[in-house]
Amino acid sequence: MDKIPDVLVRPEFEASDIGKASTADVARKLTLIERISDMHSVRKLSILVIVVIVWEVYSRLSGVSELILPKFSATALALADAVFSEQLLYMVWNSITVLISGYAIGIVIATLLTTAAATTRFGSDILSTLTAMLNPLPAIALLPLALLWFGLGADAIIFTLLHSVIWPVALNAHVGFMSVSETQRMVGRNYGLRGIVYVVKLLIPAAFPQILMGLKIGWSYAWRTLIAAELVFGGSISDTSEGASGGLGWFIFVSQMDLRIAYVFAGLFMVILVGVVVETVVFNKIESLTVRKWGMQAR
Amino acid sequence: MSTSSNNKKTAIPQLVLRPEFEVSDIEQAQTSEVARKLSTLERIWNIDGVRKFVILLSLVVAWQAYTVGFDVEPLMLPSFWVSFSTLIRDLFYSDLIWKVWFSIKVLLIGYSAGLFLAAVLILWATVSRFGSDFISMATAMFNPLPAIALLPLAMLWFGLGTASLVFVLIHSVLWAVALSTHSGFEGVSQTLRMIGRNYGLKGFGYVWKILVPAALPSILAGMKIGWAFAWRTLIGAELVFGASSGSGGLGWYIFESSQNIDTDGVFAGLFMVILIGFFVENVIFRNIERRTVNRWGMQR
Amino acid sequence: MDTKNSTAAGSTPAVADTKPILEVDGVTLQYKTKEHLITATYRVGFDVYPADRFVLLGPSGCGKSTLLKGIAGYMKPVEGAIRLKGREISDPGPDRVMVFQEFDQLLPWKTVKQNITFALRNGGKSDNAAEADDIAMEYIQKVKLSGFEDTYPHMLSGGMKQRVAIARGMAMEPDVLLMDEPFAALDALTRLQMQKELLQLWEDTHFTVLFVTHSIEEALIVGSRILVLSPHPGQVKAELNAFDLNHENVGTKEFVEVQQRIHDMLFADRILEDEIQTGDKG
Repeated sequence: MDKIPDVLVRPEFEASDIGKASTADVARKLTLIERISDMHSVRKLSILVIVVIVWEVYSRLSGVSELILPKFSATALALADAVFSEQLLYMVWNSITVLISGYAIGIVIATLLTTAAATTRFGSDILSTLTAMLNPLPAIALLPLALLWFGLGADAIIFTLLHSVIWPVALNAHVGFMSVSETQRMVGRNYGLRGIVYVVKLLIPAAFPQILMGLKIGWSYAWRTLIAAELVFGGSISDTSEGASGGLGWFIFVSQMDLRIAYVFAGLFMVILVGVVVETVVFNKIESLTVRKWGMQAR
Repeated sequence: MSTSSNNKKTAIPQLVLRPEFEVSDIEQAQTSEVARKLSTLERIWNIDGVRKFVILLSLVVAWQAYTVGFDVEPLMLPSFWVSFSTLIRDLFYSDLIWKVWFSIKVLLIGYSAGLFLAAVLILWATVSRFGSDFISMATAMFNPLPAIALLPLAMLWFGLGTASLVFVLIHSVLWAVALSTHSGFEGVSQTLRMIGRNYGLKGFGYVWKILVPAALPSILAGMKIGWAFAWRTLIGAELVFGASSGSGGLGWYIFESSQNIDTDGVFAGLFMVILIGFFVENVIFRNIERRTVNRWGMQR
Repeated sequence: MDTKNSTAAGSTPAVADTKPILEVDGVTLQYKTKEHLITATYRVGFDVYPADRFVLLGPSGCGKSTLLKGIAGYMKPVEGAIRLKGREISDPGPDRVMVFQEFDQLLPWKTVKQNITFALRNGGKSDNAAEADDIAMEYIQKVKLSGFEDTYPHMLSGGMKQRVAIARGMAMEPDVLLMDEPFAALDALTRLQMQKELLQLWEDTHFTVLFVTHSIEEALIVGSRILVLSPHPGQVKAELNAFDLNHENVGTKEFVEVQQRIHDMLFADRILEDEIQTGDKG
């Protein structure tokens, strides 16, 4: 065994007068350029610009066929043309109204299911059995049945949308309710909350991160289902009597059939735009007003 | 009550002084029921699986009773038994099993290629800030874009066939996985990062031994979402375009059955879809979670 | 750093004979927040000798944790230098193991034993699994956690987690063990227990430890030498001896006197600041 070293005793000392630190920067504001280059939006925007330039230059120089990859400028023109002379916005609106009705009804049904599950064990068992079975079932697979039962029309699409929304929303809300901490439940009952008030004022806010996650997943399934349904059965479903109607998915499908590839890209842009608006504007807003403000990030 | 003003001194209660005491010897508790066993019936009914099986059984019975009792038109809603027999018949005496295998094969190829590309992107993002910015930009744009919307383009670029399906599957997996893995990495606590570097981990070892396990809950969540998107995309794509790729998969089987107004075939196909989906979500992913994040206490 | 004339006690080695193991020489540390550049320490200097239980003591904002991170190699000084055994520090490394305050410093996906062997294997202390296992078990026993070696961290209490972290750090036999308020998140009784156990462990091998705390009492109990830092930015206020104080003489006249002296040192600034801000306050 090595010899254990001993503590080395040295004299004490005390600084009688420290004096103010003479560095200029005890706390200095960062310069404007330092801060700008740190801004996410600026860096992301420049990436976007680079991608667009690369796309344009590549499609011009490589001579790639317009049928394979249209130029960015051609795509932008097609988008403008579709918006101004082909009623693209109207088609987007068609899709969105169907989506919103399906989404809203789905949430109502999910709420009923979750309430039943939160109050009785039997309800909870039914919900978990149904979600385990039906959540993995892609809603689009129900479209053939929906067409058979409801005929060609918005009803059939709404039916499949319901299916795509209900299960993820109910599942996540249920899990959220179950994992509200015992302490918070006791606090709520301590202050005399009971029944529906207890659910609204305590359980829902406490489980909100999970509920919000369910709403987001439900939205993304619904959006995917809607586009797929329109793409697949759009022709038979949309009300073609007005000439230019049908939804966004249908627009993409028709453009592809007519080999107007720039218009396919324009339609895809529109899909991305709607998706980005809903996910980053609507849901981010809800998040920053609720869970982020309360410091309970969804996880 | 009257503590707000200090001129009502008389209302303040005074301490009551009492003698101290200490217990020298605590006796055994005298109650007869400290812990009692539940009856067998109570315990069986308390098993989750039993109750869920009973619920499932009653659903099936209700379906059968409704279709038979009300004499429902089988083209609109076939009875459970007919649908189930169709499933068995087509599985063993027809080529349904091959169609299922075809779908799963394509799904596995697309899923693993998507995971691989996501891993490459993420590695890039961990080594460079430009990569990290690129990923957040690309995921924000492409994650909300349903993969199936790319199918028309894919068929134009890759022709009618498996390649197109794989392309859209990759798209459906890649962004979901990249998004949640990226945010999972960013959420790894500063302490764990410093621990890793303290013990001399760098580069790939650091990513593999610290970041990946620490972000595993997010990575798994991303893989589950990616699987769900891929499964939905595949069924959707096959529903329409499957036929053109030669043999066709499970989605095509459903579409074919519905075109032939063979509704029990549609239900048989749906059973199969549910079965596979249930297996992947509740057996494969549940087991992975149980062995990792649940065991490590990183997720309840 | 200017040391005054030696008045060292008899049996211990003299300053001239021994080289410091860690030299911190006029170190200024700065870090950036979203809007500001903060100077955490300004020209701080001190020497740590082998077997020191060296405590960095100061109120919040004196940069003591930042200083520890600088020594660990997580950030580079703007001026000055930090030398370990005469070699300048540039990166984090297993020769200076850090024990944090946060309970999440254990890798949740590894058991107690695996947490220690992970450190041994990756820190280059052992390239043999069986040997690493043995070392791990030895240190688990030292911190009185025998029987918990196959438990995952989330099943342990806060005090037990910190013990694992200390065992992991000590198993590496680093040149200097860096402890960043390791007991701050524990309840008072557990904290007292852990302080005692740390001193017992130190008795075995006299390892060198650098200990950050904001509690004067803890500094006096744990430390043999105490560096008192002033806040905004951190500057050296004093360096004091405390090797003859421990948990046995808490509350004695001697202990209270030193406690009061440090308290006055730190508090003097506070009053001065108050006067500047609010005018004259008798």
